[in-house]
Amino acid sequence: MTNPNSSDQRVSIKGVTKTFQTANGPVLALKETSLQIRSGEFVCLVGPSGCGKTTLLNMIAGLEQPSTGQIEQDGQLITGPSSSRVVIFQEAALFPWLNVIQNVEFGLVGRMDAKKRREISKTLLHLVHLGKFEKSFVHQLSGGMKSRVAIARALALNPSILLMDEPFAALDAQTRDLLHEEIQDIWSASKQTIIFVTHNVREAVRLGDRVLIFTSRPGQIKKEFKIELERPRDINSEGVFTYAKKIQQELREEIEKVLKEEVDDEWTLKKADLLRPAGLDLGSGI
Amino acid sequence: MVASIQRIIIGYIVSVLLGVSLGLLIGRFKLLDETVGSLMLGLQVLPSICWLPLAILWFGLSEQAIQFVVVMGAFLSIAIATDSGIRNISPIYVRSAKTMGITGFSLYRRVILPAALPSIITGMKLGWSFAWRSLMAGELLFVSSGLGQLLQVGRELHDIAQVVAVMFMIVAIGLVFDRLIFSELEKRIRLKWGV
Repeated sequence: MTNPNSSDQRVSIKGVTKTFQTANGPVLALKETSLQIRSGEFVCLVGPSGCGKTTLLNMIAGLEQPSTGQIEQDGQLITGPSSSRVVIFQEAALFPWLNVIQNVEFGLVGRMDAKKRREISKTLLHLVHLGKFEKSFVHQLSGGMKSRVAIARALALNPSILLMDEPFAALDAQTRDLLHEEIQDIWSASKQTIIFVTHNVREAVRLGDRVLIFTSRPGQIKKEFKIELERPRDINSEGVFTYAKKIQQELREEIEKVLKEEVDDEWTLKKADLLRPAGLDLGSGI
Repeated sequence: MVASIQRIIIGYIVSVLLGVSLGLLIGRFKLLDETVGSLMLGLQVLPSICWLPLAILWFGLSEQAIQFVVVMGAFLSIAIATDSGIRNISPIYVRSAKTMGITGFSLYRRVILPAALPSIITGMKLGWSFAWRSLMAGELLFVSSGLGQLLQVGRELHDIAQVVAVMFMIVAIGLVFDRLIFSELEKRIRLKWGV
């Protein structure tokens, strides 16, 4: 895989906000956000639910337009989706009417002849350790396998930016760990720019060069952490733990805000209020 | 009998092409949806035989008249099924494809149609039974060669054996097509989709 052309700022986000028109009126999802991402960087976005990180990702992908501000890739304004910024979604979104290898080569159809296409797809499948499952259908794969195929499919297009929206959220811890390693290896080899959205703080610290914390809705970048740990990183190491703890604290404040807003007074009820000694007053007076 | 089968095949193919195209257009253009969409549902309720007088007035006592009745009976249910199939596609497929650089006609051909195919096949099955029924009704009233005519002749000659025999034929043909074509298609889809 060739190294994508490296200009200084791969992604430049300036003064971007996003307001959605809903049935209840306009909702501000993302407050004024500015961000610069260098080529080859691995950036993780963490934040509470609804903080706008997925919205930001969609805007970088070109699936949504910012309400104000602009996003540029290599100096070019982003106006729509493009195969140079491929998104991997949480649900993998593999096409059920195609088998595995057909899914992987999906983006390449029409860009090159069938033989070359097959070769590239086979290589990528081997890269994600699924070489034996070429002809399987999507419903025959486990969650982890589906994520791997989604990664292979995205890599086939050799995008300069890889956008990942909580891709491992639905997987069990062991599978996630393996996939972290795989992504780590892939990234070290190709040095693509990766923007990774996740809830999982340790995952973010394990993978990213930088971790950006979002406030609760309407979201904004609250704080940035530069992860200065050597790779490959172990998710159970001290270094990861220390960073994760700090980030978790910052995040906790924001999560509590969200909970308070959603759950209201019930959040402040203490356990004791709910438990009463049994047998005291059952009401019937018997 | 061959005449009947010929008619149904032509009529049905036309219905499928028209129906799927209309369903696609309705899904794509909101204007069409709001105008033609509700009209479609209303028209579908109309028994296909009611189209016969109009068909005869327009096309005379000809093959086209019967074809018209067959198509009118079938293509609307296919269109409705196509439209509903497209609306029910998980939006993530389209978004995923877009980020891979697929747009426009390619998007429809490679993503939307395959994703909606199970619903479309259901619509086609429905359309097939409507088409077959419309054809029989048309042939009964407007006598020319075909199974319907055989039925009529049997009635006129008070030949119950003939009448029942033709009825068996009609059912048999319908079943054979269902087994051969639709069950195969559905099996294939089940294999791929795992449903």
